[in-house]
Amino acid sequence: MPIPRPCRAELLRRHFSGSAVTRHGDVTRPEPGTGIKLNFKDAKGQLIKTIEANEGDDILSLAHEHDIDLEGACEGSVACSTCHVIISPEHYDLLPEPEDDENDMLDMAFGLTDTSRLGCQVRLTRDLDGITATLPAATRNMFVDGKKPTHH
Amino acid sequence: MPPIKLAIIGGGPSSFYVASRLLSLLPRDGAQSSALKVHVYDRLWAPHGLVRYGVAPDHPEVKNCTHKFDQAAQDPRFRFFGNVQVDTQSSSIVPNAMALPLSSLLPHYTHLLFSTGGSVPILHPALPPSDHVVRALSLVHWYTRHPSCPPAPPLDKISHITLIGQGNVSLDVARMLLTSPSVLEKYDVPESVLDVLRRSAVKHVSIVGRRGPLQAAFTVKELREMMNLGDASMVPLDPALLKPPSDAPLTRQQTRTLQLLQKGSANKPGTTAKTWSLDFFRSPTGLVPPAQLMLTHTMLDSAARAVPTGATSRLDTDLVATSLGYRSDPAQTFYDPALGHLRTASGRIIDAAGRVYRNVYASGWAAMGARGVLASTMMDAYAVADTILADHFPGRVETMAVSPAAPHEFVETQTHMLPEDADLESVPREVAEGIEEGRVVEYGQWKAVDAEEVRRGEVRGKERERMDWNEARAFLEARTSKHA
Repeated sequence: MPIPRPCRAELLRRHFSGSAVTRHGDVTRPEPGTGIKLNFKDAKGQLIKTIEANEGDDILSLAHEHDIDLEGACEGSVACSTCHVIISPEHYDLLPEPEDDENDMLDMAFGLTDTSRLGCQVRLTRDLDGITATLPAATRNMFVDGKKPTHH
Repeated sequence: MPPIKLAIIGGGPSSFYVASRLLSLLPRDGAQSSALKVHVYDRLWAPHGLVRYGVAPDHPEVKNCTHKFDQAAQDPRFRFFGNVQVDTQSSSIVPNAMALPLSSLLPHYTHLLFSTGGSVPILHPALPPSDHVVRALSLVHWYTRHPSCPPAPPLDKISHITLIGQGNVSLDVARMLLTSPSVLEKYDVPESVLDVLRRSAVKHVSIVGRRGPLQAAFTVKELREMMNLGDASMVPLDPALLKPPSDAPLTRQQTRTLQLLQKGSANKPGTTAKTWSLDFFRSPTGLVPPAQLMLTHTMLDSAARAVPTGATSRLDTDLVATSLGYRSDPAQTFYDPALGHLRTASGRIIDAAGRVYRNVYASGWAAMGARGVLASTMMDAYAVADTILADHFPGRVETMAVSPAAPHEFVETQTHMLPEDADLESVPREVAEGIEEGRVVEYGQWKAVDAEEVRRGEVRGKERERMDWNEARAFLEARTSKHA
């Protein structure tokens, strides 16, 4: 069953609450072996990491939780295209259709494909177990002396 | 390995994304952490460039990116100096900014990055600024309380406004003019602006472009917002304009634009007191006093350029606002008039022969021209940060997306403009004095003003109440004396 995303009014309320850095939905990690499996791949198709998620977690929040280099400039309010990911086709078809505002942002995403989505709008359900989110080609992944970038 | 001490000219999103990327790629606890300092200079007293002084007030979500900028600014290796205008001529200095020649800055830095954006609006040759012709940017600066402080438009005396240009700036301005102040008042709209909007007599906004719906620069989100305006409706378009061409496949965005235009506005035509129109295939040729716009009708040639059909018409209006794009400040050292911005290759500033100015870079609109959304600015900024590191740590950088630094020829006469090593803590004397005198704003001071603006907004039940520089300075002085 699709899980409703936060409505715009709620996002505005969050914005006006004046709270400091609020991440888009912080996530808690499930007990190992019990969660929904999500694979992150880089643009070349190499597996970055397989992680486990709870029902309802969104891909952007999961990427942040697991130090995957996926940006969320507007913090999940569907006002940018920085969290664009490419979904495995067999799982893409299981997702609810993107709404107009998500499509408006996908229009401007770099490297758009037929199975592109905004990571912030993809919430995991049990039937998505094994889903893959591939970072688009422009996403960079760079290390100096093997040091991974830290999230500020 | 000598440290990177980077001065970034400009404190908009491109600048902050480069800074953020550098600070996170050389983590504070890592071996290379002490090898980095980033100093951001902005000609305005407040940081964040177009995020503060360009993003429309009813798009608060877009401003969420400043949380990441704040995080970068918390890094002790980062400093911000507002109200310092580097490398310009007296004609382009913004009010209150201190002018700092490049020659005063360079001895203190090993690396230089221009993230100066595209600050100069392109004018229409047939529509020079006058009492009846303004730049749309002046309207944006009016409703964002930009330090350039343009006068408020006389909205109480006019009923018809014509915007020239069909990009998102035009749609932002149109939306501000056609949205009820009772909707806008909860956002980051200054009270002085709301007062003018409440007295507005504007009934119609025409948005004129010399090409058609498939060539318009606006994006679907902004068009959809126009269609959903609560108090206004769109004048229906000639259906012939909305037929997809049979010869060329449409992009996804073009298809969705056409669908939206075919559907028309949520409010049916004739049901609202206020209206707006998209006037396609019209090119202004002049203004008959006081404000009758002469238009040439146009069509597309085989290269999709607008050419006259021979027909003309006139449009009675009260105020014309031109919104035809932007270029970088021509007073800048590396400005290339042919490009309208700085000449770069992979973020490195080059001369006309393709030779590289060592350790001098540009990012964002200063490098690419004024186009694209926040996501494209961010990706460009990250690429430039990666290039800076790849140049500085040759052979020690693993990257999958940036092509390895190709051997390049350096511009010999300019290679000594930046020292190879610099005192990590030093700043130009003028800047140090400006900080002492309270004329130069550092990030901590900005955050205090930011919090106070939000507090003043909360009192009025709105997102924030903006300060101008005089108010901010008075607030900061009172705060300093309280803490002294």
